[in-house]
Amino acid sequence: MLPNYYQFYCPVKILSGQLAVSNIPFEMKLMGCRRAMIVTDKGVVKAGLIDIVKSAFADSDVKIGRIFDEVPQDSSDKIANRIARMFKTERCDCFIAVGGGSALDSAKGASIVLSADSGNILDFQGADKITSDLKPLIAVPTTAGTGSEVTKVAVIYNETTETKMSFVSDKLYPNLAVIDPRMTLTMPPMITAATGMDALTHAVEAYTCIQKNPIDDIYAKTAIDLIRRYLVRATEDGKDMEARMGMANAALFAGIAFSNSMVGMVHALAHALGGVCHVPHGMANAILLPWCLEYNIPKVPDYIAELSGLLGGAGAYLKPAEQAEETISLIRNLLKRLNKISGIPEKLSDAKVLVDQLPEAAHAAINDGALVYNPREVSYDDALAVYQKAF
Amino acid sequence: MDLIIEKGLAQLRGLPFYPLIQSKSKYELIDVTLTVIGVAFEEVSKRAPDLKREVITWNDGRRCALGVLPSGPFITLEKREDRIHYLGKRSVDPHVTFLFKNLDSAMLVLTAQMSAHQALAESRILLDGQVSYGMELNRALAIVETYLFPQFILNKIFKRPPTLNIYQLAAKAIIYAAMGPALLKNGIKCTFKRQ
Repeated sequence: MLPNYYQFYCPVKILSGQLAVSNIPFEMKLMGCRRAMIVTDKGVVKAGLIDIVKSAFADSDVKIGRIFDEVPQDSSDKIANRIARMFKTERCDCFIAVGGGSALDSAKGASIVLSADSGNILDFQGADKITSDLKPLIAVPTTAGTGSEVTKVAVIYNETTETKMSFVSDKLYPNLAVIDPRMTLTMPPMITAATGMDALTHAVEAYTCIQKNPIDDIYAKTAIDLIRRYLVRATEDGKDMEARMGMANAALFAGIAFSNSMVGMVHALAHALGGVCHVPHGMANAILLPWCLEYNIPKVPDYIAELSGLLGGAGAYLKPAEQAEETISLIRNLLKRLNKISGIPEKLSDAKVLVDQLPEAAHAAINDGALVYNPREVSYDDALAVYQKAF
Repeated sequence: MDLIIEKGLAQLRGLPFYPLIQSKSKYELIDVTLTVIGVAFEEVSKRAPDLKREVITWNDGRRCALGVLPSGPFITLEKREDRIHYLGKRSVDPHVTFLFKNLDSAMLVLTAQMSAHQALAESRILLDGQVSYGMELNRALAIVETYLFPQFILNKIFKRPPTLNIYQLAAKAIIYAAMGPALLKNGIKCTFKRQ
């Protein structure tokens, strides 16, 4: 069914496949850039992934001006300011962000600081507040889940107010996303499972929330199909190049889907759990997804039911609600299998969440912007009830 | 009859000054509706326990604005002493603002054809400020609409239409009765301010 109104935009050029990273210098020249600043974290450097990027520049006339490898787990305004200062002093002209969501968000944050010049990054919080063009950004994801390489969002932690600031703007789309299977080979099984479930949540929420639309549906369905084929394989055998490639593409498609359709209550509840109980985002999504879908069944049984075939369900049911139940049980089975392989928790209690923390998390969840897109109204009591079921 | 009206409207649309009159009329209608919403925020926050509960956690002095791009109309509200105060038809240094992208988007929400959450989801409203403040304003606006609009409209635009208990229905009746004098008082206040 067509929505009342929808928007779709994805201006990111995508390079996906074997040795894709080797094409970065050529693409930089096409963008008119000559000196890149790499933004990454120590884990990525330690895993030898920056060496792969550096070797691509060995026989090129474009250069790496600076490597910043101090990105923390949550990108912050202070880090963004530091990166921006270095970018200026090293006379760089584009960013290459190598890593997960945090590296990408740090590069996006630094780019906002540079565009604001002497202005304050805080002035650009919210939706569509950035009007000037940002520095060219090349995104090289080393996880397969966040989809940040194709999204228009940056989340930056404000160290002064101790709050997370959201920036949403079409200007925040990277210019280039480089999906190279070599970059995700070192991910441990637990992270592979958690980020894969994060991608599944993006796709499922994009398909079931109120801004779903026919273009995003295609991306979401393709992502779910790829996740069914490859997530267990990639978690079982990290060196399985085909599975890694499949998951990297699944995350990319899910990213395109949710960047336009947005996400709903799973993300709202997971963001709150991250803030209050420090549960990693992918893990929180993995645990909450089946419970939130169960909550949403009364409003969108058909949409949830339509996903059962993609997840490997064979049954045809007379009632959509019954088929929707099958979709949820297939997701639960997937999580169970991943739990056996990688140890990813299935319940909040196994993710070191304390029952006393749930009311505070429920308070935070109802103030999360993602709830606007959820098909069913979520009150404080509803959020708390879902947390308690998932505990 | 319909054909005659349609023909008349088509002729009207053909007039050179029609777009100007149309946008002026929309502007005036939105201006009036925003004033009604501003006054309603005051009245509902005085009488409805659910709005009182919602705004009790807001910090004192928090200002919220509703407005239309590119150049208004605007209204600003302020939380003070456990209540919402209507500051008038201007943007007074707000902490959070709901900005409708154009007059048509504002018409959809302010004439109760669409809820604010749906307009936010469809990117018809820009949220300027902290997201959590925006979500709180959205919930408060929904409560005001609950006391302002008849049930059949609420059934149409809300994800979960509210079912009011006897006390809330009584409060709704009192708010309806209070809105007339409150609007009159606001009108007189505005006239004096202009002079």
